[in-house]
Amino acid sequence: MSADPSTMTAELRHPPRWWQARSDGARLLHLGGGLVIAMLVLVPFADLSVTSRDPWQELGRMLTGLASPAPGALESPLHALILTIAFALWGTLLGALIGLPLALVYSRSRLLRGICAGLRAVHELFWALLLLQVFGLSAATALAAITIPYAATFAKVYAEILEQLPQAPLKALPWASSRAMRFVYAELPMAWRRMASYTRYRFECGLRASVLLGFVGLPTLGFYLESAFREGRYAEAGALLWIFYLLIATLPWWGHRRVLPVLAIASLWWLGPWPDISPTLLWRFISHDIWPAPLVNASFESLTSGELATGLLQWASHLPDLLPAIGNTLLLGLLGTAGSLLIAMLLWPLASRHVGNRLSQHSTNGLLIFLRTTPELILAFILLLLLGPSLLPAWLALALHNGAIIAFLCARHANQIQLPPSRPQGKFECWLYELNPRVAPGMFALLLYRAETIIRETAILGMLGVVTLGFHIDSSFEYLMFDQAFALLVLTAILNIGVDSLARRLRPSGEISEDSCVR
Amino acid sequence: MRWLATAALTLISALPVTMSLAQADTFKFTAIPDEDESRLVERFDKVADYLEEKLGVDVEYVPVKSYSAAVSAFRNDQIQMAWFGGLTGVQARQMVPGSVAIAQGVEDAAFRSYFIARRDLKLAGDAAEPLDALPDSVEGHSFTFGAKTSTSGRLMPEYYLREQFQQAPDALFSRVGFSGDHSRTIALVAAGTYDVGAVNFAVWEAAVKDGKVDPSKVQVLWQTPAYPDYQWTIRGDADSHFGTDFTAHVTQALLDMKDPDLLESFPRSGFIPASNDDYAPIKTVGEQLGLLR
Repeated sequence: MSADPSTMTAELRHPPRWWQARSDGARLLHLGGGLVIAMLVLVPFADLSVTSRDPWQELGRMLTGLASPAPGALESPLHALILTIAFALWGTLLGALIGLPLALVYSRSRLLRGICAGLRAVHELFWALLLLQVFGLSAATALAAITIPYAATFAKVYAEILEQLPQAPLKALPWASSRAMRFVYAELPMAWRRMASYTRYRFECGLRASVLLGFVGLPTLGFYLESAFREGRYAEAGALLWIFYLLIATLPWWGHRRVLPVLAIASLWWLGPWPDISPTLLWRFISHDIWPAPLVNASFESLTSGELATGLLQWASHLPDLLPAIGNTLLLGLLGTAGSLLIAMLLWPLASRHVGNRLSQHSTNGLLIFLRTTPELILAFILLLLLGPSLLPAWLALALHNGAIIAFLCARHANQIQLPPSRPQGKFECWLYELNPRVAPGMFALLLYRAETIIRETAILGMLGVVTLGFHIDSSFEYLMFDQAFALLVLTAILNIGVDSLARRLRPSGEISEDSCVR
Repeated sequence: MRWLATAALTLISALPVTMSLAQADTFKFTAIPDEDESRLVERFDKVADYLEEKLGVDVEYVPVKSYSAAVSAFRNDQIQMAWFGGLTGVQARQMVPGSVAIAQGVEDAAFRSYFIARRDLKLAGDAAEPLDALPDSVEGHSFTFGAKTSTSGRLMPEYYLREQFQQAPDALFSRVGFSGDHSRTIALVAAGTYDVGAVNFAVWEAAVKDGKVDPSKVQVLWQTPAYPDYQWTIRGDADSHFGTDFTAHVTQALLDMKDPDLLESFPRSGFIPASNDDYAPIKTVGEQLGLLR
């Protein structure tokens, strides 16, 4: 890069300080190094004690269950399986349908970007808990819980894809073409493949989300998985996990673009149950339940007399102690992100065809399916038994789960790379000089994107006795204090938007890789 | 793109059909998830069949996952009756004015929680049997409740902890967790993940009977005084929906349930009448602890 004469003179005039990056590669190194150093600095402040006395009996029972699954004991696995797929498929589809038009105006509207960031920031589980109050345990809750955050994600990612398109064909259009015309005639043909590829990847995420929705009571595989696991019926839990692993592992075959439409239409017959939506209920929830009582009962006099302010202050004083929760959420988010980076860097080379051999490829791919498919909550519980209650099992669960997702995508990217004939002979050199420079930018882009997800996921690990914001949100829903839950959700969303904008600033700039859209 | 449009059109045209199917007037009930959920649907479908036969209306069991989901479904009239815990019942009756507690289990009039710990911690000294009060040695250990709104796994244990030690659980213990469920509390204490746990006595005794926990390794430190717990609660508008005296008929059907096979689902030896007032102590404690408002 510095061979360019203009940069050379600039460098001579203002030589970069030792901490300033000279090239994109160095920037990534700084970013990665910075994350790991921040992790090492913060670890002493995190609550990471290991206290476990006798986990082996329970772990043994778990392993036996996984090794000898009992599919016969399942109540209605086929129905749960179909619903899992149906929710994921239709949730993703509706998300894409809503996200697409939003993407067209996304870069022009700051308001829309803000709304989308807020919608994305709330975990699918919390969307479900919120919607459950209105739609009950129904397909509407499941679909909306996936559709809403996914539409916001699609709007952002589709818009990014469109922005990266070559501009020439657009300029060739007649001068007064409308936005929709430009999209249909110029952008869509160029962007179609990448948009479809991203949508398909999102469908896999949808499947995971759909299983997770079972944890709050929607009748997907997760419903039975959670009960079986919670009550120690590990043979049943094992059978359900195997079904889910197979579902994800065989996705490339049954998730073919010609098969999906057939599946989508066929699954309509099973999609249900549908709620009787009562307008009064909906209105009461939106206009009353989720707002602080002093605000709902506010009048003009209360505003002027200061009664409203004191009322709100009193309401706020009943909120749980938020500072430690915010601290824990951010700490766990940072540790989880840095941990994911280390796990991803370790695992992707082993799963790629250039570095690994056949055995390491297959075994690592198996491990990656296991890690990214097992719901974090179950990973966390296994680690909880092993390590005792602290931040540690939550950290490891987040790092393993997200690291595996990144490693899987990086390995897929690496496998698409055609190495030049002049490549180094040794595998290590091949990794160091040929693969890593090509894969790393995409990996960091993915990592910073996952940082947002990791923050959201800290929310569901309150079981470990780690008080995060999500722990308080979950409690508020349990205590049926929806106003408090809603206020905390808004706070989480603001936190997430902050983290997201920081991540965007750190993200490698420009065109990252041909695969950058596959997040 | 073409198939996308086709699929969307199909969905839109199919919606009204599926929606109208759900309109039939069925009496729906649920039971809060509590312990053994294996074959839950199968077991409770039998209860539904029994009620259907006694009441002469369609009865359906709706499975739920969490305590709050049960209350929300009740509030939204998606179910008309539920087998609630003490606290969830109070929450539900507060949210749906006019709803009434109609029956409780024979055991529920005097329910208890157990504080359990591993024997090798020697928290109870050399005592093999439950003590008269929680020993002071529990201080500084790690502790887990069950679900956050469980009466026997959270509410009453916290109440008695505060009464005896005059401090909040967070201050008393080195760490406070919420296992989410009684069976899991037992598993976590047995594995040594948490030192002490609070658990529903009925679940503990069932776990000992089924060999899921080894009482030579885990002991009961203390059992709480008796308090009222689980009950059937029905919506106040049930009579106007399903006919006059419907609530009375349901109550009678519950009290008449004698088949051990059906009662095992709860698990109770039978049902006795109950009223909202029976749960006044639970309400008071819930308000004190800030779980109700």
